[in-house]
Amino acid sequence: MTRSRVIVIIGIVIGSMATHSRTLQASDALHVQIDALISSHSDFKSPAAITDDASFLRRVSLDLAGTIPAANEVREFLADSAPDKRIKLVDRLLGSPQYARRMQYVFDTLLMERRPNKHVTAEQWQAYLRESFLQNKSWRQLAQELLSADGTEEQTRAAARFLLDRELNVDQVTRDVGRIFLGRDLECAQCHDHPAIDDYLQRHYYGLAAFIKRSYLVQDPKTKKSSIGEKADGDVEFTSVFTSETDQTAPRMLDAPPVIDPPPGEQLYKVKPEKNVRAVPVYSRRLQLAKSLTDDANRAFRENIANRMWALMMGRGLVDPVDMWHAQNPPSHPKLLSLLADSLVEHDYDLRYLLRELALTDTYQRSSRRDALDHGSNADRAIGFSVALLKPLSPEQLALSMMRATGVAEQQLAAAISKQEKTNDPQLALDPIWQEEALNKALASDTKVFVEIFGFEGVQNAAFDASADQALFLRNGALVQRWVTQKNGLSDRLHALDNDAVAEELYVSVFSRLPDADETLFIQEMLDATTDRKADLQQLVWAALVSTEFRFNH
Amino acid sequence: MRRNLDCNGIDHLIARREFLWGSAAGAIGLGTLTSPLNAARLQQQQKRVLQIYLQGGVSQLESWDPKPGTQYGGPFQAIPTSVPGIHISELLPHTASRMHLLSLVRSINSKIGDHRQGMLFMEKGRRAGDYPYFGSVVSKYLAPTDAELPGYIHISKRGIVDSTAAFLGARHAELKLLGDQAPANLVSPKSIDEPADEARQRLRVHFDRRFSQQRSRALTDVYNSSFEQAEKLMKRKAMFEGTVSEQDLDRYGRHDFGRHCILARDLLENGATCVKVTHHGYDTHAENFNFHLEQLGEFDKTFSMLLDDIHDRGMLDSTLVIVYSEMGRTPKINTKYGRDHWGTAWSVAMGGCGIQPAAVIGKTNDEGTEVVEREVDGGHLFHTYLSALGLDSTTDHDVAGKSIPIGDPAAAPIEELLA
Repeated sequence: MTRSRVIVIIGIVIGSMATHSRTLQASDALHVQIDALISSHSDFKSPAAITDDASFLRRVSLDLAGTIPAANEVREFLADSAPDKRIKLVDRLLGSPQYARRMQYVFDTLLMERRPNKHVTAEQWQAYLRESFLQNKSWRQLAQELLSADGTEEQTRAAARFLLDRELNVDQVTRDVGRIFLGRDLECAQCHDHPAIDDYLQRHYYGLAAFIKRSYLVQDPKTKKSSIGEKADGDVEFTSVFTSETDQTAPRMLDAPPVIDPPPGEQLYKVKPEKNVRAVPVYSRRLQLAKSLTDDANRAFRENIANRMWALMMGRGLVDPVDMWHAQNPPSHPKLLSLLADSLVEHDYDLRYLLRELALTDTYQRSSRRDALDHGSNADRAIGFSVALLKPLSPEQLALSMMRATGVAEQQLAAAISKQEKTNDPQLALDPIWQEEALNKALASDTKVFVEIFGFEGVQNAAFDASADQALFLRNGALVQRWVTQKNGLSDRLHALDNDAVAEELYVSVFSRLPDADETLFIQEMLDATTDRKADLQQLVWAALVSTEFRFNH
Repeated sequence: MRRNLDCNGIDHLIARREFLWGSAAGAIGLGTLTSPLNAARLQQQQKRVLQIYLQGGVSQLESWDPKPGTQYGGPFQAIPTSVPGIHISELLPHTASRMHLLSLVRSINSKIGDHRQGMLFMEKGRRAGDYPYFGSVVSKYLAPTDAELPGYIHISKRGIVDSTAAFLGARHAELKLLGDQAPANLVSPKSIDEPADEARQRLRVHFDRRFSQQRSRALTDVYNSSFEQAEKLMKRKAMFEGTVSEQDLDRYGRHDFGRHCILARDLLENGATCVKVTHHGYDTHAENFNFHLEQLGEFDKTFSMLLDDIHDRGMLDSTLVIVYSEMGRTPKINTKYGRDHWGTAWSVAMGGCGIQPAAVIGKTNDEGTEVVEREVDGGHLFHTYLSALGLDSTTDHDVAGKSIPIGDPAAAPIEELLA
């Protein structure tokens, strides 16, 4: 960590002096190397300018802390004249409890795809993920825990949710391990070599399945709790529905050599299979999966997570959709993807390191606006990250940001703090981790309503879409209306201001930026002409909250 | 009509490009596929779908494939229909007299005896995976871009909203109506009158205008159009609020299913593309015969009235009508006079747009315990429905970065059922 910090600092100094034609050095910080690879690509033309401070603050707060900044944070950041204030901001966000919460949401959606909880409670699972990111657990360790926990021990039971809540169904688990950990959707290979995608071969699918096939769920007859048992034998055989050819495979990780079982010793089992008994073999193929998957030899594992983190920050994967890596859909920037993946391994799969470097790139910090926009071109890919892409807010980001903009979050936190101050541990109320937890708890049920309306169960790589019932919810639903009319909330705060001061407070609170002269004038004129000022201010707050500017991270 | 399996090469790319440019029928025999040109034509013709889903698994022996007087036949007789030679259960007298508008498939072997898995197979035409439901596919390819109503509307008494659109996106997901109640949030908040509501919509558009300057509109257009759709639904509020005429109630029946079917008719007449009505209550593990007497009694008259109205208004040629379940029921009658889950040999009915009328496809053996002729499953039916609508189910969904076959490449349409 110390070494990498030094490199980063040197890199920033060099990077700020560098021009794009300069030869890259291996010692350059990752973000400098990233920008060089992006700007030397043939799709990279007429790049957008680096975005202004206000939109950078909003963008990075949403990406790393899961919500828009509070109005006072906007004002402080704009007033700060330190040249390295963006770097400081990124570091502050990455060290905050809000970062762990944001990653909890991101990885919950990534790993479980909003499926209902079955064997592990939502609380246990979320706490496990959040704790993992508070500790900055490496992605390798997290992945190993998810695939090796067997659900028998209370301490590691949450990690077993990945397998338990998929009922350890071989097809489901095989497909999801392929997609989620390797970026490859092998589903069609299940019945036949993928008709359209020739490198998704049946043996990839069945090679993965062979790691899992011997494992099964066992229910304890007394506690009714399910956990994972495994047999010591059983091979995978497959038949193509098209050619009727039959083939057999040992466990294998894509094109890596098969992992042959060790020669059986005298004992096959630590615990023998019996009715209602959880069998434990001496050699476990499932534990071998956790090893083979995360082995340095498996490039797909590191490239997948590097690509997913890139997509999280930049709005589009280098391979996109992120689980559709195949010959007809190669990375747009293969060298860059290799660089990201290898840097991640050098830093022991430290996601915080990777996200920090991504946030410091010019590529991330570009404006989503540019002068010459080709409206005919709809292809994000064609513009080579020369302009920042719009990212729709996740249901959680949208709910939390609306509650922050309207002052609901602030009020709830104040109430929780004042309650805690009356207990015999008033000091606790000062702890940022406690504060984040208390606020999250207070806002949880309203956030859940947004997840139900804007979230969807299943594979998460669909393009952005919006449906009529979502718009009806925003337009006529009681929840948003309650926030807009919140007592002592934003609308009331605006009502207490003079007409010429309303625009600034509204824009800083909702759009996290200062209004320009036209915007200020528009609102002032509107208020000068109003017959029902209070109601009009509420309409204004509503319209800003459901605007496109608010709906997207831009 | 088999999908060309060797479609990775340059031929495919060329065909695909031609497909995109609208000169579709050429190159390598991809058949009558939906070029943008054809899609526009299809939209002009306003093709529609009515799905009646008999939830729980209707018994084929008490409906479309009766076996009276046999070991498992049960107490009901078969009756002749308006088509000479076709007999169906005596529980469906009204439907029987309209048999010339319908066709039957009696040879389904889905191999699934589970409610959810069976339903997913029938809806997606696939046994597994995140594929869109039939209604979402119809919405995607047949709903006009300026449609007055969402493309896929599901009327049901129960409230679980399924994720139906998969990669096709939320615009094509089912809009679930709980019975004939209006969709949630259809009315403005009390404190906001119409002028105020219009004013705040103008403000929303005002904010968007500045934000959209010099930015790509790809995503913001989608978001804005959801508000336009919401607006349209609000304007159609009266249709959901059911000033149903006494005459309609007399004909359709004064029960939930009757009201739901009246709403379905009105929706189809007013520009809906796919309307699904779920009729619950066919999971008859006990008292199969009493329950079918009751349930099908409700279904038979109501469905017949709906079919008449669609026919009389000249919409049947452009409306595909499907009556289906997630599975059938066991021939073997259990000790509680019930029939259990059964995916091995069962039936569906369909008619209207693109379907050859008065046909019977496939056959089960004398006791109804297995399919003996023209075995099909949910994959074939899915292909058949789309083909009937003039869509080529053997082509691909055009989704970024991947080509996804619309129908399962391992199945094909039932050609002899197509008009």
